[in-house]
Amino acid sequence: MKQPAPDNAATVMAFTVNGRDVSLSVRADITLAELLRDQLALTGTKIGCGSGECGACTVIVDGAAVPACITPALLVQGADIQTVEGLAIEDALHPLQRAFIDNGAFQCGFCTAGMLMSATALLKQNPHPSEADIRMALQGNICRCTGYVQILKAVQEAAR
Amino acid sequence: MNMHPHRNQVNVGTRHKRIDALGKVTGATIYASDFSLPGMLHGRILRSEHAHAEIVALDLSVAEAMPGVRAVVTAKTMAFHRYGNLVKDFQVFAEGRVSYIGQAIAAVAADTPEIAEAAMQAIRVEYRPLPAVFDPIVAMQPDAPVLHPDLLQYKASPLADRAGNRSGRTTITVGDVEAGFRQSYRVYEHRFRTPPIHAGYTEPRVAVAQWDAAGIGTVWCNTQLLFDTQAALAEIFGVNVTQIRVIVPAIGGGFGGKLRIGMEHYALALARVAKRPVRVFSTSHEELSAALFRYGSVIEVKTGVDREGRILAKQARAIIDTGACSGSGPLVASTATLILAGPYRIPNLLLEGLAIYTNNHPGGSMRAPSGPMPNFAIESQMDIIAADLGIDPLEFRLRNIIHEGDLSATGQVMTGVGLEECLLKAADAIGWDRKNPENNRGKGLAIGAWMTSRGSSGAYLKLSADGRFTLMVGVVELGTGALTGVAQILADELSVDVADISVVSADSHITPYDFGSQGSRTMATVANAARLAAANLLGKMRPLAAKALGVPEAELQMRGKGFVAGEKSISFAALAAQAQMSAGGLIAEGTYIADPIAYDASRVRNHFSPGWPSPSFHAHAVDLQVDPMSGEITIKDYVVAQDVGYAINPSNLEGQIEGGVVQGIGQAISEELVQVEGRVLNANLTDYKMPTIMDVPPIRVVLVEHPSATGPYGAKGVGEPSCIEPPAAIANAVASATGKRILDLPVTAEKIARA
Repeated sequence: MKQPAPDNAATVMAFTVNGRDVSLSVRADITLAELLRDQLALTGTKIGCGSGECGACTVIVDGAAVPACITPALLVQGADIQTVEGLAIEDALHPLQRAFIDNGAFQCGFCTAGMLMSATALLKQNPHPSEADIRMALQGNICRCTGYVQILKAVQEAAR
Repeated sequence: MNMHPHRNQVNVGTRHKRIDALGKVTGATIYASDFSLPGMLHGRILRSEHAHAEIVALDLSVAEAMPGVRAVVTAKTMAFHRYGNLVKDFQVFAEGRVSYIGQAIAAVAADTPEIAEAAMQAIRVEYRPLPAVFDPIVAMQPDAPVLHPDLLQYKASPLADRAGNRSGRTTITVGDVEAGFRQSYRVYEHRFRTPPIHAGYTEPRVAVAQWDAAGIGTVWCNTQLLFDTQAALAEIFGVNVTQIRVIVPAIGGGFGGKLRIGMEHYALALARVAKRPVRVFSTSHEELSAALFRYGSVIEVKTGVDREGRILAKQARAIIDTGACSGSGPLVASTATLILAGPYRIPNLLLEGLAIYTNNHPGGSMRAPSGPMPNFAIESQMDIIAADLGIDPLEFRLRNIIHEGDLSATGQVMTGVGLEECLLKAADAIGWDRKNPENNRGKGLAIGAWMTSRGSSGAYLKLSADGRFTLMVGVVELGTGALTGVAQILADELSVDVADISVVSADSHITPYDFGSQGSRTMATVANAARLAAANLLGKMRPLAAKALGVPEAELQMRGKGFVAGEKSISFAALAAQAQMSAGGLIAEGTYIADPIAYDASRVRNHFSPGWPSPSFHAHAVDLQVDPMSGEITIKDYVVAQDVGYAINPSNLEGQIEGGVVQGIGQAISEELVQVEGRVLNANLTDYKMPTIMDVPPIRVVLVEHPSATGPYGAKGVGEPSCIEPPAAIANAVASATGKRILDLPVTAEKIARA
């Protein structure tokens, strides 16, 4: 059972989110997803299962895709975090975002942020992934709407 | 209204991008679970640990005394009325007795989710267990424990034929089934079972509720049915419907699992007591153990055929395990009778749909709620019969399928029947005639039909002074793209761009009534309402334009986002500005419901859906390989040929169909809520196995277009049906590959290896 945290458990943390320096007081018992959503108003990162099984909360921490809903917020001290809100630069969509739109790679859109972040981390490490590489990278992201067919196509297109 | 204009089509029929795309790829779209209010509390629900028990003692004192706890609510806190869409057999909180694991006993609201959780766990419940029943076959016996002793006193739909543990019974009778069996060359009898499965929407059910000073309770939630939810909440709290306001900001999937109230009533009850806004968010464990699942079922089928492989008689029944409350069960059992008949010409039928109470968790309406279970049974049996008669399964189906003008089991004259084309195209695409190249490899077919549900839609359409149109509708964009399709249609009929159409949806106090995002009906019905609104709006715009230009109305032509008459022109923007000065602007309404479908009433008893508007037809074909040691299935190729009537947006249709197929594959081979004595054992996403991107085979979609007479541009409902046939197609291919016939879903590797 998760006990309410005493007020004095807050820690001052500094890290970057989508290229901006952030410094704020963070309670010891919250997750990265709660930190992003509740304290930084970055609700693009979704909470689905809340147990690291569905991938809706995926963000990039120091280059790696991680499930924010089971990552303790205190672990991101000094880290470089990227969320879906940081993908587009001004009004210019990221190639993955464009490919997701062009290929109909989302329907309800609830898994989309997580999918995009997993795919972004993949393309950064491996700009020309095989189909098998893409499947491996997205296997932790559940989509119940699309059947994944268009998601696979979209990531392949963005990688070209 | 002319449903098939096919003129001036610029956007209709194209792969136009979704109108909700930008918010969804940038994270800007606010879903119900992103919504919050200042001072909002967090609610948790205490749920029963017993499948059937008397509540001997309920001690709230420790929870109520915890710092930060603002409300603890039970059945005794206020008068909650029973609710339920067909039979009023649901209670908000248990009253003295629990009848399923997961039943709500109390709810807590506190300053933080952690305090709410701790308070919930501090509530002490003392139970005295009662005899329980978990198998619907057992529950139908006269000596079974009775779930609802006062069942006949409950308010209920007159079609819900209740007795004992039965909340509904529907029959279809055609000809003389016994005579048909006597004439038959062979008669086959099989019993199939299917487990409950979860709809699998990725956004858990959530509600944020608040009561205002005027006594109006507003709830921001992710229901699929705005007005049904509003009505259910008004009933529960004993208030007028307009004292409940339901708003859906955006919804993360539904698939039928969010048709009926989930968290809304708990949030409203807590908010009323706490006098603060309250949010209740369903946890992953709650989702997989206490949601409205696809019903588990037992399907019995007896079929008689002649020597040439013509079906002479079929007697079948679908026994739907509704769990402890009937929910959609009577309707699901009723519609199942038409799936039991299948899209076949059969002269003698005796079909029965039964909704049976057990002490399992109540279920609901997942995508094509009556579809996959009976379809798995009858289409599996078709292949068993074909093999026994030595007839090719494709040929056996071709000898029996319905064609244009044939009667359905209820006596409806079927029109727009593209079934044969679907079957031949699916078989051709999968290479049906080619021999399997390897051992343990096999192909399978399954076919079916489904309806485009009725129910009415309203639409308001207004023209603003920037020349853009705003459509207001009471449906939720589930993600199907239906509202993109509606915008494409409006753009063409108003001679503007899709970008000139914006859609406002899903606020019960603002948007007009709608039957809701369900039953493959959204595009078919909302589009027709919107088109009528557009026609009415043009009827107001044209006289104003004619007057402004000083020409007769007949000379007006719509062009360049305005009206043109010879050299003269006026833009829609200028027209709207003028109308705002003179007449309160330009706004019109449209309402639509599909005509009722004629059927033969002498064939049916207590049928909820005897006539199917715009029926759709589908054929699925799969090519797969089975590992002989492990039983593991590898799908090599999957083809769906679906008669969609007319493809308003082929990309969105393909997306619907592919998504449904993958849900169907999950249902076929991996998904099962494993229940032992009413307890779900695999209530997490590691043990409840929904398909991931690793599991997805190549899927090819063939769109077949035999237009509906009433759907917009001939379109039929597309949302649900593609999840119906995969279990049967895959089971048939497994039997072809291995000779092993699995009669209980899912067709797991373990079952194949052990068979």
